[in-house]
Amino acid sequence: MGILVFVSSKAILSKPTFPFSVTGAFSLIFTLVSLLFFCGMALFLLIQGSPIFFQEQLSFITDADWFYRINQYGAASMIYGTILVSFLAIVLSLPFALGSAILTSEFLPNSIRVYVKSFIELLAGIPSVVYGLLGVLFLRPLIFKWFAPFSPESGDTLLTASVILAVMILPTVMSLSEDALRGVSKEHREVALSLGLTRLETFVHGVLPRAIPGIIAAVLLGLGRALGETIAVYLVIGRADNRLSDSLFSLKPLFEAGQTITSKLGGSELYIAYGEPTHWSAMIGLGLILFVFVGVIVAMGEAVNWLGRKYQHG
Amino acid sequence: MVSSIRIWKNQLFILLVYLSGFITVSLLFLGFILLLSKGFQSLSLEFLLSPMREGGISGGIFYQILGTLILAITTLFIVFPLSMGFALVKSIYIQKAFVKKTMELFLYILNGIPSVLFGIFGFFFFVKYLGWGKSWFTGGFLLAMMILPTTTLALSEGINRISSEYIENGLALGMRKTQIIFSIILPQSFSSFLSGVLLGLARAVGETAPIMFTATIFSGATIPTGVKESPILSLPYHIFNLVQESYHPQALSNAWGSSLVLIMLVILISGIALPFRLRAHEEAKV
Repeated sequence: MGILVFVSSKAILSKPTFPFSVTGAFSLIFTLVSLLFFCGMALFLLIQGSPIFFQEQLSFITDADWFYRINQYGAASMIYGTILVSFLAIVLSLPFALGSAILTSEFLPNSIRVYVKSFIELLAGIPSVVYGLLGVLFLRPLIFKWFAPFSPESGDTLLTASVILAVMILPTVMSLSEDALRGVSKEHREVALSLGLTRLETFVHGVLPRAIPGIIAAVLLGLGRALGETIAVYLVIGRADNRLSDSLFSLKPLFEAGQTITSKLGGSELYIAYGEPTHWSAMIGLGLILFVFVGVIVAMGEAVNWLGRKYQHG
Repeated sequence: MVSSIRIWKNQLFILLVYLSGFITVSLLFLGFILLLSKGFQSLSLEFLLSPMREGGISGGIFYQILGTLILAITTLFIVFPLSMGFALVKSIYIQKAFVKKTMELFLYILNGIPSVLFGIFGFFFFVKYLGWGKSWFTGGFLLAMMILPTTTLALSEGINRISSEYIENGLALGMRKTQIIFSIILPQSFSSFLSGVLLGLARAVGETAPIMFTATIFSGATIPTGVKESPILSLPYHIFNLVQESYHPQALSNAWGSSLVLIMLVILISGIALPFRLRAHEEAKV
């Protein structure tokens, strides 16, 4: 009943009581400005990015031959780099993120939990350029030293970029998964424990099924972050064009310099590209691919969240 | 025995959870302490208050701090009205559930757009098409657009939490819609909004990708006097450039110092947001 009243009283507000109000007009204008900006951005990516798909057709995404001096564009190595680096980042950070989320939500007393959680949220706010600085100064030499048997050319490798990304998305994934786990009501745990189930069984059968949509959404959000991160990746990936190994499953590329879509877009090649229609279109085409990737992943995350809510409320 | 296997599994689970949690938190904590200690070593009053010299190798970061503050204030002034209008339209003026849901999904997707795309679009539209060159205003505008989804969602969530009795009382008093908005809806959701804006701002302050093509240069700018062709210096871009010269020890030390100042700024803004966040939580419980 309360909800019914709630809806109807706001519904009254939506009916125009006066034909014109300054507040309403300004709100509408501001909304239109924001929507126009975003539509303009999407249109910009579509209109300026699509010519390259007509020129190079499928070879734009299947070939690794990006040579702008001879007007040849194939972005396969960057797409490969983007996908490899962000998936590896998720794989690397997931055990730690989930482990610490379970620890804080299921085992730690509330007094300690607050501190751990605020510290993790503090880390989520650290700018990516600072993570880049840490990566250049600490991780790069470490990777070079530890993986010497694989004879890396330098410390700038796809692996370095993945590890930095894994550290960067860890706070996001951990904090959101922890929220999902905490969202499961205490009764489920108490009932399971009182039936004599162990902590593990309680967690697996009582808590996890109810929290899993939230955890999946958290992982997808982390993946979206990883795909779009520019600065930290740019600093440690080596930015070598057209490296694509023959076999998709070979581990060799991990210890070589590479390129992701974002590290390409963040480089000074953008200044060179402007004014040469094909080159510019190739760059914006990369942006378009990135935009589609991220859009699909965020939409998937929202869908999972929505399904989870629907499932929980019956 | 079955039960002993169960117990062993349980013990293993607890051990693994504690291990991974402990490793994660202690490694992150170590990294954070390292960052702070390195930063404090190169921090001094002179570093904060003097301009950069010799391409960042000596001197301080006065104009970089100033530039970042200019960007932050510009962002604040742009995002405030825009997201307020957007949120009012989304949660008050539009009541169709379908349109609301679509707008919400739209905002979530916008929230995920990689920041470098804002930079590229800004470079094309403001820097080249409008011919503004690099300008502090473009940077502030792009950062505002980047955090607009966050702030809009924060305010509309706050509005959705307002108990209907307040609005009904307003209606019963014969208030017009505008009066209800200004004397009930906005004051009641203000803490949610402000905490959303400040958290967004904390993210915007540290961003490099949207401003590197559009607003900021590495050296040679002081206080901007106009809008066109008036670039600024900024902390994130300063660090970004110093990192690439990391073989020079003095440049490196300055990069640590600048990182510490940037992190302090982020923590300061999140700190200001904290009381509003707590109040918003309290509002949610009532």
